[in-house]
Amino acid sequence: MATESSALAIADAVRAGTARARDVVAGALEGIARRDPALNCFTSVRHDAALAEADAVDRRLAAGGDAGPLAGVPFAVKNLFDVAGLATLAGSKINAGQPPAARDATAVARLRAAGAVLVGVLNMDEYAYGFTTENTHYGPTRNPHDPTRVPGGSSGGSAAAVAAGLVPLTLGTDTNGSIRVPAALCGVFGLKPTFGRVSRAGVVPLAWSFDHAGPFARDVADLAAAYDAIAGPDPRDPACATSAAAPCAVQLGRGTEGLRIAVLGGHFTRLAGDEALAAVARVAAALRARAEVTLPEAHRARAAAQVITACEGGAYHLERLRTRAADFDPMTRDRFLAGAVLPAAAYTRAQRFRAWYRTRVAEAFREADVLLAPTTPWPALPIGAPMTTRIGDEEVFTRGHLGVFTQPLSFVGLPVISVPLVAAGALPVGVQLIAAPFNEAALFRVAAQLEADGVVAAPVAVSRH
Amino acid sequence: VDEADVERLAAHLGLTIEAAWRAAVAAHLDGLLAAARLVAEFPLPEDTEPAPRFEP
Repeated sequence: MATESSALAIADAVRAGTARARDVVAGALEGIARRDPALNCFTSVRHDAALAEADAVDRRLAAGGDAGPLAGVPFAVKNLFDVAGLATLAGSKINAGQPPAARDATAVARLRAAGAVLVGVLNMDEYAYGFTTENTHYGPTRNPHDPTRVPGGSSGGSAAAVAAGLVPLTLGTDTNGSIRVPAALCGVFGLKPTFGRVSRAGVVPLAWSFDHAGPFARDVADLAAAYDAIAGPDPRDPACATSAAAPCAVQLGRGTEGLRIAVLGGHFTRLAGDEALAAVARVAAALRARAEVTLPEAHRARAAAQVITACEGGAYHLERLRTRAADFDPMTRDRFLAGAVLPAAAYTRAQRFRAWYRTRVAEAFREADVLLAPTTPWPALPIGAPMTTRIGDEEVFTRGHLGVFTQPLSFVGLPVISVPLVAAGALPVGVQLIAAPFNEAALFRVAAQLEADGVVAAPVAVSRH
Repeated sequence: VDEADVERLAAHLGLTIEAAWRAAVAAHLDGLLAAARLVAEFPLPEDTEPAPRFEP
């Protein structure tokens, strides 16, 4: 059974006995060995361990046991997640010298407990501080739709591995857009859950205030199955919500009746390319969403997110910056150093602004249940793009601008699914479906309807080169 | 922000910033300070507190 099949199709076949987990996992490993050298998604492949774990799934089923809802599904995770027995690279050279992790990150452990088989760990921007996965130490990950372009980041390996059909499920993290940006640029589904909904225990932090973990998949049912497996309380993560997570897979057939859907205006329409705006218009038309909602001061929310991320990141890495600065990736080092020396007043003001903005955002959800916005302003950039780009009268940081529409949302922890649109001959773009905190169910209903109507889809990428 | 500013600020934190990196660090600090100004220009109510216990 090909790994280009959906995760749930694989699990169904393995549980029914029409496929063996070992053959599925061996097929995934063979595909990775053959195709990943050209894409550079993986930084480590668990060849023998994955086969042994697949055998264990087969043995459990043969003995009449329950192997879990994701039995035999090959998956992989950003190398920011602890995996027992592997050093957690976090995209860095420095962490390669650390001892192996003693236990799995909670989200990894939960997918494995559901029967999924971890085949490897994935490339990323160093310490998750970037939007392109142009990693100096481990090389750039390449976009499976066009290998001369970036996959987005910082969870670039996670998005690209799913887009290429190497595995049906991956995990990534999102502080300012690091799940949503690569999901959009690689043309796959990515979920950034509500802040506190999925445990970050065993995940190297970038900025504690906004760090989230979440899944990537090529269809909505797989995304929901992965979310349902990993969501919920975890005493190992002090920011994790203590309320139980409502399952979302059961929401998929409900349609969108009764949901008020609106388009985000203002900031979310500025400094965007035509493809991004056309994608939102297409999704809005399909959902008959005509109302427009504005999040006040969203541009300042983005600025405050930048300040808090830089300060918290600089503070977290301070000792490494003191002793190992030359070993950082130049793509991140200079920004962490700048964050480390930023005045405390800037940080405090940004956190106070966050409290004000959260209240205004809550008011916006009195008018609508789901909001629509572009995920990124542009499709995938070429690898090695210039540092700055001119848009009209404004000069923007080319890579940083990829987060212009994602940052004001993760800033206050809103759940977001980036859904993929791929026009014939064009690069993929994404549209953000955004809900109030803990209303992931509404997002899954809308995403499933769009998928059923053929508006969004994530076929395995076919390279244009 | 110039390179001397960066060197002085870094010294307070026990950081040594190599000469070759200072111009880039200064440029990024300039960008962060511009972002901080954009936030600071907004007239927040005096009683707005930061949210150390954050519930989205």
